[in-house]
Amino acid sequence: MLTLTIDNQTISIPAGKTILEAAEALGIMVPHFCYHKELGAVGSCRMCAVTVHTGPMPGVKMACLIAVEDGMVVTTGDETVATFRERVGEWLMLNHPHDCPVCDEGGECQLQEMTISSGHGIRRYQGGKGTYTNQDLGPFIAQEMNRCIQCYRCARTYKDYCGGRDFGVMGSRNRVFFGRFKDGMLESDFSGNLVDLCPTGVFTDRTFRFKSRAWDLEQADSVCPQCGVGCATIPGGRLRELQRVRSGDNPLVNTTFICDRGRFGSGYANHPERPRQARQEDQVVSVPAALTALETQIRATVKQHGPEAVLLVGSDRASLETNWLLQRTAKHFGCRVPVLNAHRQRHQTAQMAAFDLSERLASLQDIRSSDLVLVCGVDPLAEAPLLALALRQAVRKGGRVVLYDPRPVELPCDADRVAVSPLALQELLADGGVEGRHLRDLLSQAKNPMIVAGADLLGLAGLQNIQKWAEKTSNKERPCLVYPVLAGPNSFGTALLSLPEQDDLLTRLASGKVKMLVCVDADPLLEAPEGERFAAALTRLEQLVVLDYLPTSLSRHANLFIPTCPPVEDSGTFINNEGRLRRFQRVLKPGLSLARTAPGEHPPREFSLDTPGSDPQPAVLLLQRLIGQEQPLTEVHRQLVLEQPRLAALVSLKAGEAGVRVAPAVARPHSLDPLPEQPAQTLELVVTPARYGGDLFSRYAPKLEPRKRPPCFYLHPDELQAHGLKDGDAAVVETDFGSFTLPVRSQPDMALGCVLVENSEAFPQLIPGAGLGYCVISAGGANE
Amino acid sequence: MTTIESQTTSHLLDQHILADFIQHAGEIEHPREMIIDVLRAIQLHHGWVPDDGVELTAAILGLTPVEVEEIATFYDKIFRRPVGRFVIHLCDSVCCWTRGADEIAAHLQKTLNIEFGQTTADGLFTLLPSCCLGCCGIAPAVMIKQQFYGPLTPEKVDELIATLRQEGSA
Repeated sequence: MLTLTIDNQTISIPAGKTILEAAEALGIMVPHFCYHKELGAVGSCRMCAVTVHTGPMPGVKMACLIAVEDGMVVTTGDETVATFRERVGEWLMLNHPHDCPVCDEGGECQLQEMTISSGHGIRRYQGGKGTYTNQDLGPFIAQEMNRCIQCYRCARTYKDYCGGRDFGVMGSRNRVFFGRFKDGMLESDFSGNLVDLCPTGVFTDRTFRFKSRAWDLEQADSVCPQCGVGCATIPGGRLRELQRVRSGDNPLVNTTFICDRGRFGSGYANHPERPRQARQEDQVVSVPAALTALETQIRATVKQHGPEAVLLVGSDRASLETNWLLQRTAKHFGCRVPVLNAHRQRHQTAQMAAFDLSERLASLQDIRSSDLVLVCGVDPLAEAPLLALALRQAVRKGGRVVLYDPRPVELPCDADRVAVSPLALQELLADGGVEGRHLRDLLSQAKNPMIVAGADLLGLAGLQNIQKWAEKTSNKERPCLVYPVLAGPNSFGTALLSLPEQDDLLTRLASGKVKMLVCVDADPLLEAPEGERFAAALTRLEQLVVLDYLPTSLSRHANLFIPTCPPVEDSGTFINNEGRLRRFQRVLKPGLSLARTAPGEHPPREFSLDTPGSDPQPAVLLLQRLIGQEQPLTEVHRQLVLEQPRLAALVSLKAGEAGVRVAPAVARPHSLDPLPEQPAQTLELVVTPARYGGDLFSRYAPKLEPRKRPPCFYLHPDELQAHGLKDGDAAVVETDFGSFTLPVRSQPDMALGCVLVENSEAFPQLIPGAGLGYCVISAGGANE
Repeated sequence: MTTIESQTTSHLLDQHILADFIQHAGEIEHPREMIIDVLRAIQLHHGWVPDDGVELTAAILGLTPVEVEEIATFYDKIFRRPVGRFVIHLCDSVCCWTRGADEIAAHLQKTLNIEFGQTTADGLFTLLPSCCLGCCGIAPAVMIKQQFYGPLTPEKVDELIATLRQEGSA
């Protein structure tokens, strides 16, 4: 620790920190632009000038560049630097328009704040200002180059941090332009970060333009529900509409970046088809009446047919509290334990992560500083976008990424990519011969090795082998950590809560004993494989009850439907891929947005005590009412921790915090089954979530439409030729789950012997994570 | 190796040179370092670098167009707009200034009847300011087609322009 004095205050701080960071730790704000804690310092804006009074070269220095030294004496507000900063402020403002009152950034503009804090207030420059022609950067980002102060943060964000290659800095000196070669949508899946990182109004959220002033928004610390990474977000809403999402700050998970799917994929909260009223057999009923009916029905069914007759289903997108209350509800009514995840295989792999791998889980922070990451069976941009950014940071620091996957995985960084079929990958992990030994040697020799394991593609057997690899390549000095990529925002949590006796959904439905099915924030038709078997089982039910906030088809089939709230309208907890408890806080109350009730006009002149469309309630509250135990969330957490001591951190957890890991469990013993033989004359079937529309939330996000792709089967060109097919032909693919006709596309970067298809709203029939699958492809259209 | 359709590029590069660039780009570790060479070759062949010239350079080197454009727009001797047959780069740095570059600048503008950045109506001359050309010994100086001329006086400028006009009309 080094001790220094800044503005007569003394601080001890580790070596390697800068004066700016030391001042920040003391609560002294030194104005700055180009410095950003994730992008680092470049010392180009000259705004953070301070006076260093000690050492061989005293004088004006840039606080972001100078490392602290023992005994250093610094002043941040003396006349020399105050004047210096005022001049810098004045100079930065030379070309800047005076459009603050109408600027989209107004109210959350760092330039505004820093100009004021620099002391510059009166314009002396009377000359002409530089002006620019703006580009059309697509539907997500609006550009207004006249406001640019050439701090280069956008280029450092888009190119350096996120690895985008279609955005750059053009021109020189006072003609510098930040943009694309030609008009068009920014291609990076992280383009939205320009909005957060630009310190002024050059890059703003086009989807949020002209909607609200930043200070009018209702905002709260939340967690993105759109994959298992669990990024910190700050959604903002007004007039009962979720208007935008920006990145929060979680140094251990996403730092200050989020992906475009999370940022622009929030349309589900205000989806026009979102069910907002309780329904019983096509009749609209009040929520209390629906709850009473539900209670009566559950009691009657259990009484008449026994505890097996009522089956409660939770999901990996429902909060920890909701899933736990489902278990409570089952106990209360004397039903058998609920199924917390309708997708059997995903549930098993999540349990593998929650129990067996829990001692050796990596965080994204760990991955960012790893020197060797072995990525197995993951397409990060589709399954966990921020993981792709973490891999890039590892590579930027000199690390190496080795990737094994059948898909044409794109990464925003260099990687040693090997295209292998899922079966070949399983064989590699099971032993792998020379190649397997080579990879294990690499991991053993690395200083800080990590394995990223895709639960969907590897399945239980694959993850078990990954665990063995990690054990074998760990040593006394350092462990080999594993980052499992799970499907849902709370896959880890649901797995941790679930009880061994829960069985899987289809087994229990097939027993014929289930008369009543209650799905809470779950749609097994869309979220679990074997949808046909599930649909058939539905017809044998007497009662289907659905509590959900998405307009899924299951909610339309329900005999009894009760609307719930998405995470932005609820408070709760998710446990992310790395076993970290992440609390989200309510941003908005439910209600039909004013944009819907009064499109562009005066709000309706109808007077009522209720907000239109405000019937939805958080699932936790509904379940509490159902069992007659309304308690604050803190009490729920206290009781939950009593049952699950691993979740002890839950009690003191706060929204906006980095979050605490669940306590590790002891790995369970398990035996490995031999790999199945591939049936002759078949190709391996690889089902992957689409980058946009793969998760259920982004299917109901209209803003994401421009990024969605039509469904098709992808094959290696050699495979196409072998089957007498051409790029663009229609083909029939026969699978265990039915036969499907789609166009085929040639994809030279994927593995041989595979058919790849993306699961999205346009092709929801095949669900990822169903295990090794095989198919037969033939020229198609004949059976249509 | 990169394959590029020849009929769409013949106006930008000689096909042999194109083939050489493609081969060389495949042999070196950082093809990015060839950006200026390719752009200059296109400029030599086509007179200036149009958008498809930037795209061709990107295709040869395995880069995105904006990565080439960043370099192309940084250097004032790569022309991203049409220029005249003779581009006059007049040095505006300190040695030339002390030796009367301002007078030469005014004279050039008057003689050619254009301002800096413009091209004469006959398409013969484009007048551009330049940072130090590195020939302070013959200040004030201009550079035309990689040839230096100086020390200049208004009379010598007239002679030079006349010679170039003659060459241009020949």
